[in-house]
Amino acid sequence: MSDTSPDATGRQLPATPHELIYPEPPRKTLGALLGSQKIAPWLFLSPMLAFGAIFFILPLIYAFYISLTRWDSLSPPRWVGLDHYKYVLTMDPVFWKTLWNTMYFAAGSIGIGVPLAMVLAHAFTRSRGQTLWRSIYWLPMITNVVAVAYIWKFVLDDRYGLLNRALGVLGLGAPGWLTSPTLALTSVVLIFVWMQLGHNMLLFSAGLANIDESCYEAARLDGANERQLFTEITIPLLMPTTLFVLITNFISGLSYFTLMLVLTDGNGGPLRSTTVTGLYMYQMAFSDLRMGRASAVAYVLFAVILVITLIQLRVFRRGGVEAH
Amino acid sequence: MAIVQDRKFLSKAGTVLKYVLLIVGAFIMIAPFADMFLGALRTPAERIAQPPVYFPRDPQWGNYLRVFTELPMLRWLGNSLFVTAMVTALQLLTSAMAGYALAKFQFKGRDILFRSVLGAQMFPFFLFLIPIFFILRYFPLFGGNDIFGQGGSGFLNTYTAIILPFAVTWYGIFLMRQFFIGLPDELLDAARLDGAGEFRIFFVIALPLVLPGLATLGIFVFVYQWNEVIWTMTVTRTAPDLQTIPVGIYLLRGAFIDQSTRSLQQAALGISILPVIVTFLLLQRYYVRGLTAGAVKG
Repeated sequence: MSDTSPDATGRQLPATPHELIYPEPPRKTLGALLGSQKIAPWLFLSPMLAFGAIFFILPLIYAFYISLTRWDSLSPPRWVGLDHYKYVLTMDPVFWKTLWNTMYFAAGSIGIGVPLAMVLAHAFTRSRGQTLWRSIYWLPMITNVVAVAYIWKFVLDDRYGLLNRALGVLGLGAPGWLTSPTLALTSVVLIFVWMQLGHNMLLFSAGLANIDESCYEAARLDGANERQLFTEITIPLLMPTTLFVLITNFISGLSYFTLMLVLTDGNGGPLRSTTVTGLYMYQMAFSDLRMGRASAVAYVLFAVILVITLIQLRVFRRGGVEAH
Repeated sequence: MAIVQDRKFLSKAGTVLKYVLLIVGAFIMIAPFADMFLGALRTPAERIAQPPVYFPRDPQWGNYLRVFTELPMLRWLGNSLFVTAMVTALQLLTSAMAGYALAKFQFKGRDILFRSVLGAQMFPFFLFLIPIFFILRYFPLFGGNDIFGQGGSGFLNTYTAIILPFAVTWYGIFLMRQFFIGLPDELLDAARLDGAGEFRIFFVIALPLVLPGLATLGIFVFVYQWNEVIWTMTVTRTAPDLQTIPVGIYLLRGAFIDQSTRSLQQAALGISILPVIVTFLLLQRYYVRGLTAGAVKG
């Protein structure tokens, strides 16, 4: 913006009228300098840059350093190199179990949650009383996770839970929804689907609103029925939204563990059946005080998520090209 | 003619099916919530009655008052309100400032910075739990620490530890940039010709024009922060005076051991979600925008 700066060819630019009026510009005060167009953007950015340095870049480096040491946070750390990574990947049977649980949780919540959200969004978009439906379906997603966990702990309690007492009236058995090692993780998946349904419905209904009504009219004129409209128009045109929902849900599913932590008082039981890798890391760090190994687990999980995300993006980009 | 009637019947059946689906879904959404609010009103006998009692015959309204005398509810609510208000204010300010710079200024490195903001959103929060905990503990010159971060406890057991890691979010910066980018440059240039400094332009001209954006981000941050559990729990485990309402109720779980105190637990949890529900019902259209802003356009 300086009046005499050379242009791309190195030629001096002619002075602007501004300079002609004030041949001697007023002396710049510090305030004017800070408020100038050159300095101001950096001042606007300064909180972000400071935060990025202290709470983003530094932690990433620091966490990697911690992962190369044995450290209980009370006595000084001891350098162990890559030992934690070696242990976690080759010797720790629990890690692989938690990774399996993580995959089961992420895939299960997508497999059940995404189709459900799509169908409900489809019903919701062309119905009366949208504000009412929306408020109802969004209730769980604006509720804190402690309330969600205890709502379901009370409903699903083995003996005194509403559900099992109701099943008892009907003469049916009383499954240990949250106490059976084979059933607990599936129950967690279902609770999570319940929590996330409103969010995914919203994304789908935003995608549905973007579909041009004339597509449907043209198809109707050609004699398509409602089912064909859904499978031949809605689903293909909703593809970008679906991909977005799938990818974001999968990433967040792989890193999620708060619900399991609160539901199981932090122990990931019964028999570690609900211990996902994030929770395993959290227990290791803040219950067992193994900061080094926990940081290694965090980085391994991050690497897994990164690889899966890249594969997904690749596969979907190919699929996306074909869809259009 | 027959085909047309057939189709009319089918579409009518489709409409009925649609509403049946929505109603069944709505029931599954609401019934567990109602169970919590009603559970707080049931007598201990009703809580374990067989067949189950859903609607209490003699509602124990006193339980909603007992939580205020038997639990540190006011302390928890005050902490929640303070932390949420601080984080919301900080995030609005930092996001607006950075978003404005990234949207409305030309400078070297801008595109790299913006791409970094997008990329930073890909890093999951669990990666930061351990290092940020210790960065706050060993923060130099605060909380009795010397210049090397030794000797004291840094920011641990302070409100700062709860608030500071949420002072800036990449999502907020991205969202505000999207709102600022729609502002016409001519407007800002006109102010510059009139001799206004960049800060004046930002606070007096640009900010008021993105009020809807600030409302969107504000409600989003409010709901998120009020419900935040994992970080707050990690840094306030040994500081009951700083706990927010969901964290306080969770960490006090050992106290809710019999059917009578479990009604108290449900009452407290019910109260913990009320502020968000009220805010949300009033401002939900802004919330929609925040959620869909990140999604691709179909």
